[in-house]
Amino acid sequence: MNHSEARLMIGAEPRSSSAELAEHLATCPECTQFQREMTALDNNIRRALEQGPLPVFGPSASVTPISNARTTRHRKRAGWWPGWALAASVAIASLLVIWVLRPTDTLAHDIVAHVEFESASWSSKEPASAADINDALARGGVALDMGSDRVMYAHSCWFHGRLVPHLVVHMPQGPITVIILPDEKVKHRTSFHESGISGVITPAPHGSIAVLAQGDENIDAVARQVQKSVHWLQ
Amino acid sequence: MRGVRNSGPRTPVSSFNGSTVGAAASDPIVRLFESMRPDLLRFAHWLARDRAIAEDIVQEALLRAWRSREALKDPAAARAWLLTIVRREHARLYERKRLELVALDDGVEPEGMPSPPGPDSELDSLRGAILKLPLEYREPLIMQVLGGFSTAEIAQELSLSSTAVLTRLFRARNKLRTLYGLTPAPDDSESEGVA
Repeated sequence: MNHSEARLMIGAEPRSSSAELAEHLATCPECTQFQREMTALDNNIRRALEQGPLPVFGPSASVTPISNARTTRHRKRAGWWPGWALAASVAIASLLVIWVLRPTDTLAHDIVAHVEFESASWSSKEPASAADINDALARGGVALDMGSDRVMYAHSCWFHGRLVPHLVVHMPQGPITVIILPDEKVKHRTSFHESGISGVITPAPHGSIAVLAQGDENIDAVARQVQKSVHWLQ
Repeated sequence: MRGVRNSGPRTPVSSFNGSTVGAAASDPIVRLFESMRPDLLRFAHWLARDRAIAEDIVQEALLRAWRSREALKDPAAARAWLLTIVRREHARLYERKRLELVALDDGVEPEGMPSPPGPDSELDSLRGAILKLPLEYREPLIMQVLGGFSTAEIAQELSLSSTAVLTRLFRARNKLRTLYGLTPAPDDSESEGVA
């Protein structure tokens, strides 16, 4: 396998692990770096796609030239910069690329984006059927110790590459969204406020649980209540 | 477009119209299809780039799926099966009507204008860039990343050779690389090689 073939394979399937490609990568640092960049890019592509397209084609739909302005300035100065400064700028640029290609958003942001895409779920008026609730929970490997008449929405949703239970539960303070995240390990309990949504992500035995509510209310107590109601079956 | 269908009286149209009612609600296949609706809508939205059109596509696709439900032998394969129907429905609509889609360039901010700061601005830029990809590149990318289809499955669905699909996926990502200030990899693939 030559460079062109390797890059075609990496660009098409960044996580490809064919023996032929592995053999080439073992002796080619350039293609190894290319794969690293493309895998990082692919992580961001997956996150972007799972969020759905931008709601409005306005200014935010544009392609922001992330590094063009910076590189333009660098090019203008490169002519009179001493060699060491040039080397330093290359190092900084490398770090910048790594920083830019980091996962650009938090789990919390991805969850909020997912919920925003299914915003109609907040306003469900009729309780979900017991069968729907059971289906959704079973796919996530959990059971819920809660009256099914309080669950107004129950779907299995594609999130971070797998199906997860997405519920809306009617609580005294209003509807709350509960998303069970079997493969998302978090170290600490995290609270967040974003786009008019408050949320808490709590660690759980086999992943984590996200609880969200509309508005800025403190939902810590509700989140704890939900956490106690979820039983992991694995 | 939604709501009125030439379907038989036993087809639970209402169950695919936002609220599951009547006897259809207890049908496991209806529940299965409905549970996939958000995923299907997201998939269709990326293809069509328009939420309203995407909703129509999903509605039509679910009705087609219902009529062909006997073809679904394994419920575990429902997601891929439904996504395929959605893709075909989109292609059908696209070919039939040559939709007048929103010209994305009209909404693009002038170069040099700073984007609003925020943790999601880079991801928003990426979403915008994906939307701007030509359909021939966007479609296989969405099928692979969001749909979970293999290269061989995409090739079969799009009537292309596997090499052509690999080339399109490579070019799609290569175009998106530039968003991060990375140099596009040399594109040595002269032609795609149609199946």
